[in-house]
Amino acid sequence: MSPAISSSGMNHAISFRGITRRYPGITALDDVTFDIAAGSCHAICGENGAGKSTLGKILAGNEQPDSGTILLDGQPVAFKSPREALAAGVAIVHQELAFCEHLSVAENLCLGRLPTRSGFIDRHQLATQAAALLATVGATMDPARPLGTLSIAEQQLVQIAAAVGCGARVVIFDEPTSSLSEGEAKRLYDLVRQLTASGVAVIYVSHRMPEIFLLSDAVTVLRDGRHVATTPTSALDEAALVQQMIGRTLEHYFPAHVGAAPGDELLRVEYLSSRGRFEDVSFSLHAGEVLGLAGLTGAGRSEVARAIFGLDPDATGSIFVRGAAVQIGSPRSAMDHGIGLVPEDRKRQGLVLSMLARENTTLTVLESLSRLTFVRRDRERALALGHFERLKVRTGLLESPTTALSGGNQQKLVLAKWLAARSSILILDEPTRGVDVGAKAELHAWIDKLASQGTAILLISSELPELLSLSTRVQVLRAGRVAGELPREQADQDSVLRLMAGIA
Amino acid sequence: MTSSLKHTAQSVIRAQSFGLAMVLVILAGVLTAVSGSHIDPMTGASVNNFLNAHTLLQMATDTSTIAIMAVGATLMIISGGIDLSVGAIYAISGVGMAMVLRGIGPMGPVTTVLVALLTCLAISFLCGLANGIMTIGLGVHAFIITLGTMWIFRGLAFVSSRAESILVPTPLTAVTKASLGLGATLSPVPLLAMLAVTGVGAVFLTRTVMGRHVLAVGGNAEASRYAGLRVDRIRLGVFLWSGITAGIAAFLSAGYYGSATSSDGTGYELYVIASAVVGGASLQGGKGSAISSTLGALLIVLIRQAIRTLHLDQNYEWIIIGTAMIAAVVLDQGGTRLLARRMAGEASASSSRTK
Repeated sequence: MSPAISSSGMNHAISFRGITRRYPGITALDDVTFDIAAGSCHAICGENGAGKSTLGKILAGNEQPDSGTILLDGQPVAFKSPREALAAGVAIVHQELAFCEHLSVAENLCLGRLPTRSGFIDRHQLATQAAALLATVGATMDPARPLGTLSIAEQQLVQIAAAVGCGARVVIFDEPTSSLSEGEAKRLYDLVRQLTASGVAVIYVSHRMPEIFLLSDAVTVLRDGRHVATTPTSALDEAALVQQMIGRTLEHYFPAHVGAAPGDELLRVEYLSSRGRFEDVSFSLHAGEVLGLAGLTGAGRSEVARAIFGLDPDATGSIFVRGAAVQIGSPRSAMDHGIGLVPEDRKRQGLVLSMLARENTTLTVLESLSRLTFVRRDRERALALGHFERLKVRTGLLESPTTALSGGNQQKLVLAKWLAARSSILILDEPTRGVDVGAKAELHAWIDKLASQGTAILLISSELPELLSLSTRVQVLRAGRVAGELPREQADQDSVLRLMAGIA
Repeated sequence: MTSSLKHTAQSVIRAQSFGLAMVLVILAGVLTAVSGSHIDPMTGASVNNFLNAHTLLQMATDTSTIAIMAVGATLMIISGGIDLSVGAIYAISGVGMAMVLRGIGPMGPVTTVLVALLTCLAISFLCGLANGIMTIGLGVHAFIITLGTMWIFRGLAFVSSRAESILVPTPLTAVTKASLGLGATLSPVPLLAMLAVTGVGAVFLTRTVMGRHVLAVGGNAEASRYAGLRVDRIRLGVFLWSGITAGIAAFLSAGYYGSATSSDGTGYELYVIASAVVGGASLQGGKGSAISSTLGALLIVLIRQAIRTLHLDQNYEWIIIGTAMIAAVVLDQGGTRLLARRMAGEASASSSRTK
């Protein structure tokens, strides 16, 4: 147990006292009270909609509570804007990175306080300041690079550098690793430890169990906007934490499809290559199998998925569907061969957010629901309704704007789209990213169920536990090449990680 | 029973066009009240200066050209594009039609009308095709391509007609000015054409596969591609519709006014876009309604009519229209945001109840 916790009542960086925040029709936070110790990492957990992000936003000045007070080092504060919060030493590192993509790293870092000389930007001074800030978080990128050319992990580093550079004493991380690979996440963990060691209080909002136990000194669980418990992490195990989060116990199960013998070969890929992305990737995929594709970010996993789905015009090599060589030049032709793709970026690639939930569900199959180009609304509604019921999405949400759905429900919509298309070959790219524990378990059960029913599944996931528990076999990519393939029995965390990183 | 009634009432109020329709009704009511009346010299009856068949039909005729093109522009804006060349397509279609008819010489009335209509549609179709192929094939933003073709099409019309005003044969005028039994001075054909095009546009957008695909592509082209939609083909179709609506408008106007010149429809593209935007179409794509765009066109014409009816200084017309357009869009966005917040609140409230 960390010393900050044991001296409870003495060293509180932040105290929430009766924080309540209502939106029309819903209470996002209901009388939430707890303390966060200085120099500690405090995790905040809960399902989507539990109020974690709202709490972060209130602390960072993006939103104001309807009632209740926040004490910063014992002094009541009420931030009207992120700017005020930042001035008081409270910074937030967002889920969605808010930056000007066309400006340089340095300009983004110092935006709002650009150094000037006689009214013009002092470029030299700017570069020096930016380099100093980047050094504090151990980042090595060129400050003159346009921000848009950086990877998500690098952009996040810039965001953290900006926070630390402002002299932040409290840093809120909102799902920081949801878009990072395992290696990048490790570096982030080091940074978090470095921050807490220097006395900064870190508030860490996350879904991921392993990192909560790895990093945090204490865990606060919220459920439906209410404070459930604040517990020292050392006094918890995973099962207990999940129970606090969902209010019931989650059963562990052994995926059913693993026991069954695989069926016919549905997809075979031979020497698939795309210049600068991946080279000579080959595998075969049978009905009823889940082939896990592991690798670090940049190893080429999503790129392989895109190539199979007809989204990479540079791809060469052969693709066989049910034993016959096929040419796939567009997602349309991939669909015609029974292939479906649940893409990694649900908001950009998976959903049309301006449309209703129903309309997204039926987008892939609208033509088959029409007569003489007129959509048969009864059939459309019936189809969408059926999938909502099967996937346990509340049917009242059928006609809701897609943006109003939680991450878990949105992800179910993307899956429903391909269930509706009756895809026999499903590529799932990070199917549970940014999804709460409850919905995640349901999605895992669905992957297992689909495989048991004879669907061939290619599963890409940066969460090794997920990949290992669901896959029949695991193929590992490293720097665009196949590093090895392991059957389920031999695929454990250690062996897969070694292949991913290239350590023999 | 009462709850379903309440539900219907709610969905009517939430409909995109409801607010705009209310504004139009109120404005028309005010105009009727303040415009005064005159004595008809023929019948001796008192006639309201605004609320009479003649003024209303004239307004509908003024609206029809813009509104018909605005339906095409709505599709275009929903798909995430823009078409600045519709005014020029309107001119080149009218001029081209008039020249073809002049070249062929006298024909039977039915043949004349058919040849005229087909020529207009063919020219506007080709213009739309050119816009679409260049925008999609060259990967240049529609704003730039159609800005270029706006000048090219008008220049072609100018050069080929030598800037003459070309008369069109009388059968065309007979059709577009037909009174359809309403009395010699009334001609409802432009109004009916406007209603028909708006109706087709509304059905296309809300009921057909193609219409849904346009909404999807405009909302998120990448996600649409990932869902197997043929994005380029859908966008090309939108360019064709945008051109063809300009062709239909050109056919009606050339017939109605009896001639066509290369300077016809100058600046119409902006009225057309303004109508769609006042009607709630989002320039970011993914949102818009054919009915609302027609109401938007009607609002612009009604404001112009109000200036005349109320004997305001006509020099202020542009200032008033500009102000009204910005106000309409700001109000619409405010309303949309409010509605979205409420619906989001309801959705999360109902989803949290399930837990």
